[in-house]
Amino acid sequence: MGDNRDDKMNDSKKPKIIAIYGKGGIGKSSTASNVAAACADEGYKVMIIGCDPKSDSSITLLGGKRIPTILDLMRSGVDITEDDVVFEGYNGVKCIEVGGPEPGIGCAGRGIIVAIQKLKKISKAQDECDLIIYDVPGDIVCGGFIAPIRKGLVSEAYVLTSGEYMPLYAANNICRGMSKINTPISGVICNARSVSREEEIVHKFAEEMGSDLIAFIPKEQIVQDCERDGFSVMERAPDSEIAQVYRNLARTIMSRNTSVMAKALEDERLRELTR
Amino acid sequence: MEKVKKEISIIHPRPSSIVAALYTLRDLDVDVAILHGPPGCSFKHARLLEEDGIHVVTTSLDENGFVFGGHDELVALLDKVSEMFNPKLIGIVGTCVSMIIGEELHDAVLEANPDVPVIEVEVHAGYRNNTKGVLFALESALDAGIISEDEFDRQKVLLEEATIVEKRHGAASKEYLAPSRGDLKYKVAQRIIDLLKEGKRGITIMNAKKETGYMFADVTVAVNEVAKQLGVGSNIVNMANIDDTLGLPRVRHHAKCIAADFKERGIVIHENIGGMDEYPIAGDVAGKLIEEKYSDYDFVIITGVPHAIPMDCIPGMEIISVTNGPRQVLPMKEMGHDHVIVEIDLHPKTLGVNNIVESEFGATLREVAKDL
Ligand SMILES: Nc1ncnc2c1ncn2[C@@H]1O[C@H](COP(=O)(O)OP(=O)(O)OP(=O)(O)O)[C@@H](O)[C@H]1O
Ligand code: SF4
Ligand SMILES: [Mg+2]
Repeated sequence: MGDNRDDKMNDSKKPKIIAIYGKGGIGKSSTASNVAAACADEGYKVMIIGCDPKSDSSITLLGGKRIPTILDLMRSGVDITEDDVVFEGYNGVKCIEVGGPEPGIGCAGRGIIVAIQKLKKISKAQDECDLIIYDVPGDIVCGGFIAPIRKGLVSEAYVLTSGEYMPLYAANNICRGMSKINTPISGVICNARSVSREEEIVHKFAEEMGSDLIAFIPKEQIVQDCERDGFSVMERAPDSEIAQVYRNLARTIMSRNTSVMAKALEDERLRELTR
Repeated sequence: MEKVKKEISIIHPRPSSIVAALYTLRDLDVDVAILHGPPGCSFKHARLLEEDGIHVVTTSLDENGFVFGGHDELVALLDKVSEMFNPKLIGIVGTCVSMIIGEELHDAVLEANPDVPVIEVEVHAGYRNNTKGVLFALESALDAGIISEDEFDRQKVLLEEATIVEKRHGAASKEYLAPSRGDLKYKVAQRIIDLLKEGKRGITIMNAKKETGYMFADVTVAVNEVAKQLGVGSNIVNMANIDDTLGLPRVRHHAKCIAADFKERGIVIHENIGGMDEYPIAGDVAGKLIEEKYSDYDFVIITGVPHAIPMDCIPGMEIISVTNGPRQVLPMKEMGHDHVIVEIDLHPKTLGVNNIVESEFGATLREVAKDL
């Protein structure tokens, strides 16, 4: 894990655009923001685009503050410019929140589609980035949540899971779905929940569906402590062990350019793995 | 962050962007237009467009399609129309349903991979201005290499102008506009005859939107016939937007056909005020010409999009206008048009034709003149 990068900067001008998928609540947003912060520490220009109606992707990069969302502004009928929706957070990370309706009202999926189209129109900031992370909610409940990929915006999809059966089951479904829409998987990340043989299980899963395990993030109280105060681990506890894990993951992602069309496992096999 | 002026909320039903996209595809000469959505969407216009010579089909998404998506249905329909109609150019139009659920038209096209170009229009009916549907269709046509950058830029300007015209004095000018049948045709016909008899001089301006010109042109013809009958043919000056060098091929074709008919019937168009898609700006051209050359004329008969002619170019003239929009009557009366006539159901009669068709007002005018 955490291989050495030979090229310091992304020399091709095209930004690396990734999304991390996984079961709801498994840790996508905290992984995304810590990776964003770690890449910024490495000198990369980073942007994070929160595509979750709960708008919680960038809070820990903004010292706990909330920013106006694209959809809120669109709804109020103002003419939106880049400056209204793109905010600089920790170490220059550009933060954007798509926003969306209250739970149970309207259509959040359509919201994502409209907002990312709007963003594309008004913002050139994306062109100057080395890394753009789309942070999506756990359950891809409808077409809108997959729009960043469908619209050809995301070039690399990562899968985040723990070694528990349900998160693996969700991860497996995501792999199947991605293959269906011809989108390869660039790697599996384990966000541990401290279950037995966890690394081995996720490693096996990754291997059997054709990809590999690129990081093992332990479960640490410090992640939640920093989060509670409104910060990423990278900012609040840069010398912690887990900060080094995020740093390595960031380097791996920046240097990685392999991806595979995933082959989802049979459910029976999944159960066997976790038994 | 600039606060925009709060737009009024218009409550009368208005033309849909989906339909606008369909008509634009027709102007781009697609052979088949696929509606990706529910079976009844845009039915009336889809039917009319069939009369105009293009095939319109629908993926007929039902409750299952709403829930599970309609990708497979669209792929299957692309295959089917390629086989059934042997098209040279296909258009796909989104609908509210397919756009809300996030259907990717392009994915279906990639999968079906027809060997002809496809114009994919991601549109729904929820836009304030239906010109959005036209714009999206043109953008996709540009992407597909069907139209040039220059033509696109030209059309874009026209669309912006058209939106302004509608907001200023058109169907988008008020929160609610009741439909009206306008003034009685025979009374207005009588008035025109009286004016001619008194030796008054008049201007006809046809400022028609595309194919609607096939019927509005008939008013020009009728006025000239009656003037001739009364021995005052030379008191009439004719203007029309029939420049056949401008616009998409189909639009130029309309201009050619109408010009040929005018010629055949001995009608001289003294001033050609623009292309048949230039109705939002041709009014200004007409206005300038009047200020320069015809400011001492007594009356003006404007057909098509009469509210695009600036009022300050025709001061003191008696204004007779002919529209096909029942909601256009009130705004034009408010502008100061003295007589407003509505040609009900004009549009359907101008689809699929290549010659001037008789208008109700033209017929009335001829009929009243017969009894003289
Ligand atoms: N490695 C970790 N150690 C300890 N806590 C963690 C770790 N990773 C994430 N968490 C905590 O788990 C909770 C859920 O994480 P997060 O919000 O990132 O999940 P998510 O996958 O983005 O959820 P959603 O699907 O709702 O968007 C947070 O409180 C976060 O701090
Ligand atoms: S709501 Fe939209 S999709 Fe449905 S019929 Fe009307 S225009 Fe068509
Ligand atoms: Mg999240």
